[in-house]
Amino acid sequence: MGATMTQSLTKSLTYQGIPVWRHARILGWTAQIVSAIIVIAAVAFFIYNLTSAMEDRDIPRGWSFLSREYSTPISESVLPYEESDSFAYAFLVAATNTLSLSLVGVVFATALGIFIGSAQLAGNWILSRAAVVYVEFFRNVPLIVQLFFWYILILGLPPVREGFVWFDAIFLSNSGLSFPWLKGQETVWIWAICAVVAIAAAIVVNLFAARRELRTGRSSYPLALASVTAVVIGAIAWFAVGDAPLVIDVPEPQGRFGHTAGGAKQSSELVALFIGLVIYTSSFIAEIVRAGLQSVSKGQGEASRSLGLNTLETLRYVTFPQALRVIVPPLISQYLNLTKNSSLAIAIGYADLTSVAKTMTQTAPAVSIFLIIMAVYLLYSLGYSLVGNIYNRHIQFRGG
Amino acid sequence: MATVAEHTEALGPPRSETGWIGWARFNLFGSWGSSIVTIVSIPVALWACWAGLSWLFTTADWTLVTSRPQQYLIGVYPTEHAWRPLVGWLMTSVLFGLAGGMWRGAAERIAIGYGAIPLVVGLLPYGMMHEGVNMPLDIRLLVLGNLPVLAVSYWLGKTERGEWPRRLLAAALAVYAMCLLVLAGLSMVGLADPFSESTWVGWVLNLVLSASAVAVSFPIALPLARKVGRPRSIVIGGLLAYFLTLFLLAGLPGLMEPVSPRVWGGLMLNLILSVSGIVLAFPIGVALALGRRSNLPVVKLLCVVFIEVFRGVPLITLLFVSQVLVPLALPENFPVDSVTRAAIVITLFSSAYMAENIRGGLQGLPPGQAEAARALGLPGWQVTVLILLPQAIRNVIPAIVGQFIALFKDTSLVYIVGMLDILEIGRAIVQGNPEFIDNGRELYIFVAVIFWLITYTMSYASRSLERHLGVGER
Repeated sequence: MGATMTQSLTKSLTYQGIPVWRHARILGWTAQIVSAIIVIAAVAFFIYNLTSAMEDRDIPRGWSFLSREYSTPISESVLPYEESDSFAYAFLVAATNTLSLSLVGVVFATALGIFIGSAQLAGNWILSRAAVVYVEFFRNVPLIVQLFFWYILILGLPPVREGFVWFDAIFLSNSGLSFPWLKGQETVWIWAICAVVAIAAAIVVNLFAARRELRTGRSSYPLALASVTAVVIGAIAWFAVGDAPLVIDVPEPQGRFGHTAGGAKQSSELVALFIGLVIYTSSFIAEIVRAGLQSVSKGQGEASRSLGLNTLETLRYVTFPQALRVIVPPLISQYLNLTKNSSLAIAIGYADLTSVAKTMTQTAPAVSIFLIIMAVYLLYSLGYSLVGNIYNRHIQFRGG
Repeated sequence: MATVAEHTEALGPPRSETGWIGWARFNLFGSWGSSIVTIVSIPVALWACWAGLSWLFTTADWTLVTSRPQQYLIGVYPTEHAWRPLVGWLMTSVLFGLAGGMWRGAAERIAIGYGAIPLVVGLLPYGMMHEGVNMPLDIRLLVLGNLPVLAVSYWLGKTERGEWPRRLLAAALAVYAMCLLVLAGLSMVGLADPFSESTWVGWVLNLVLSASAVAVSFPIALPLARKVGRPRSIVIGGLLAYFLTLFLLAGLPGLMEPVSPRVWGGLMLNLILSVSGIVLAFPIGVALALGRRSNLPVVKLLCVVFIEVFRGVPLITLLFVSQVLVPLALPENFPVDSVTRAAIVITLFSSAYMAENIRGGLQGLPPGQAEAARALGLPGWQVTVLILLPQAIRNVIPAIVGQFIALFKDTSLVYIVGMLDILEIGRAIVQGNPEFIDNGRELYIFVAVIFWLITYTMSYASRSLERHLGVGER
C-alpha cells in the first residue's frame, strides 16, 4: 500500500504530460530569468550612459576623492572640523551631525510624545482638548512649512543682550541658543575611565542583588545599591584625581552684537530644525502612545485599582508595560522618519549629511557621493531597527 | 406592611451631577490634579486666544495672500491658459458634488465645506479692495463657476434612477458639443483669443467657454449617473478627470498649445504631484507587493531591494538623485524635464510605501480565502486578482489615505528641484517684493492652514470611510 502511494506520488511529480507553457516550475524559472535579465539590462544601460556621459564631460570618477582635501567650510559640527580635512572626514562630520541630531531629537520627541499622548486621554477636558489640537495641527502640516516658521521666528528674536535670558546662563536669541555645558579639564580622561569602572561595578551589583532578591524573596534594593556603588566609586575617583575633572562652563555674552562665549552654542538653524523635528515627530508619537494606551483593555486598569495600586502605579506597572507592546514597533518607524526628516536641514541651511553631500557634488563625483549617503541612511535605519527589534522582543509576551 | 406609593416619580440624579455643572465637575474638577490644571490653564488659554486673535486681525498683514490668489492656486501657469487648470477644478467639483449627493453623511458635509473654497477664492480678495489684484475677471468667473457645478452635480447625485437625469445629460452634452464647435470654428478664423476681455467677442467667448467648461464635466457624470450610489463610479470618474486634467494642463502640439510642466505651480502642483504619486504608484505598488510575497527567489529579492532602498532614503536625497544623476544616466537629449523626473521619483518613492501597505493587507487575510479559491479550481492568477487583492485593498484603504496625506505634505519638498509649489511661490512673493519682506509669518501660517484644511478633511473622510467599510469589524 505504502509503496504504491510513493510510486504514484513520484509518478505525479515527474509527470511529463504537462505542456511546458503551463508547467509551474518552468514558468517560475522563466519569469525569474526574464525579470533578472530586464533589471540587469536596465542597470547596465544606465551605468553605460552614466560612464559615457561622465567621460564626455570630464567628471572625475571613482573613490580617490575621499582622501582629497575638502576645503569647504562646514558651518557647525559636533566633531571638530577644519577646511584642510579630507572628504572622508567631512563625510564623517556630516554623518555625525545627522546622527547626533537624530539621537537627541528622538529622546525629546519621545518624552514630549508620551506626555501629549497621555494628555489626550486625561480626565481634564481642557488638557485633553489641547493635546488633541496639538496633535491634529502639527501632524497635518508639512514639516518644511513648520521649519521655515520656526526659523523666521528665531531669526526675528532680538540679539543676545536683549533676547531671552534664563538664570543668566541660558541665552535664546537670533543667533541661536547657548546653555551651560560640562567642560572636561586635563584630568578628565582618568576620571572617565574610573566612571566606566563605576558603571560596570554598578551593573554587577545590580545583577547580584536582583538574583538574590529572586532567590530569597526578600527585598534587596538592586537599583538603590547599584546607584550607591556608582556614586561612591565616582566620587572617590573625582577627589582622587585632584582638580575637578569636569567644570560647568557658563556662556557669557560678548561684544555688542550678540555673541556668546563658552558653554554649548547651537546655531539658530539647528535650534529651528530641532524644535521643528521634535514637535512634528512628537505629534505622531503622541498618536501612537494614545492608541497603545487605549489598546489595553479597561479591565486591566480597573483590576489594578481595585487591588489598591494608585493611578501612577497602575500606569507604571500595569497599563504601560502592556501598551508598550503595541507602541514599540510603530515608534521605531517614527525614529526612522525623524532621522530621514532631518535631511530637511538643507532648507534652512544646517550642515547635515544631505546638505553637505549636496555641496560636495560640485567638486566630487555625484555617483559615489549618493552611494555613500544612501548607505549611511540605510545604516542608520538598520541600526534603529536592530536596537528597536531587540527591545521589542524583550518586551513582548514570552512563552512559559 | 410596606406601603407602595403610587405615582411616585423616580428621583432624577442630583443637580450637581447633570447639566453643565455636572459636566464641569467631572471634566474640569474631577480630581485635585485636574482642578489645578483647570485653574492654571483657563487664564493661559484665554490669554493665548486673545493674543492669537488680536495678532490675526490687527497686527498681521495678509495682503501678500489676498492680493495674489491666482499665484497660490496655479503658480506661474500662463494666464491666457489659466482656464485649463480651472476646468480641471470644475471636474473635481463635479466629483465632490456627486459624491456628496450620493453618499450623504460625511461626504455631504465635505462637499458643502468644499463649496466654501471657490466662494472664498472668487470673492474674498475683491472684498479686501486691494490695488492690483492680479486675477482677471474671467478667471474669477470660472472659479465661481464651481459653485453652480457643485450644486448641480450634488442634485444629480441625490436623485434616484429615473428618466430626467439622462435627458439633462443629453442636453448638457449637446450644449457642450455646440460650444466646442463654435470655439473650434472661431479659432480657425483666428478670432479665438478667449481671454481678451476688451472686446465683446471676448466676453461672449468667455461665457461660452465657461459654459463649455461646466459641460465638459458632464461626460464624467455620465458613467456616474448610470451607477448612482456605487463607489466604483466615483473612482472611474476620478481617474477620468485626473487624466483629462493632465492632458488639458500639458496641452497637445497642434491641437492645444503645449504648456511646459516647468510653469505648473501653486497648490495645483501639490495636488497633481500627490494624486499622481498615488494613482500611478498603485499598480507598481501592487506588483511589488505581489513580487515580495512570491516564492520565486530572484523576483522576491529584486522587489525587497527596491522597496527597502526607496523606503530607507529620505525623499530629498532621491529628489537630488533625480536632478543630478538621472540626467546623466539617461541617453543624451532624452526628452524628460526636471519636473517629470521629480514626478517619477515621487511616484517610485510612493510605490515602495504602497507596496508595504498592500502587503500588509494581503498578510491580514485569513489563509482560508486563498485555499477555498484554489479548492474551487481557480488558477493562481485568478486567486490573486479576484479573491485576494480586492479584499486586501479594501482593508488598506485607510492606510492608503494616510499615505496620500503624507505624500501630499511631502510634495512641498519639490522646491528642491526649483518648482514653485504653494510654499515656494509664497516664498518667491515674499522675497521678490520688499513690502512683504516682514510677512514671512503670515505666509507660513497661511500655507500651514491650507495644508491643514486639506489633510484634515482627508483624514476625516478616511475615518468615516473606515466606519462605512467596517474595517476591523470583520
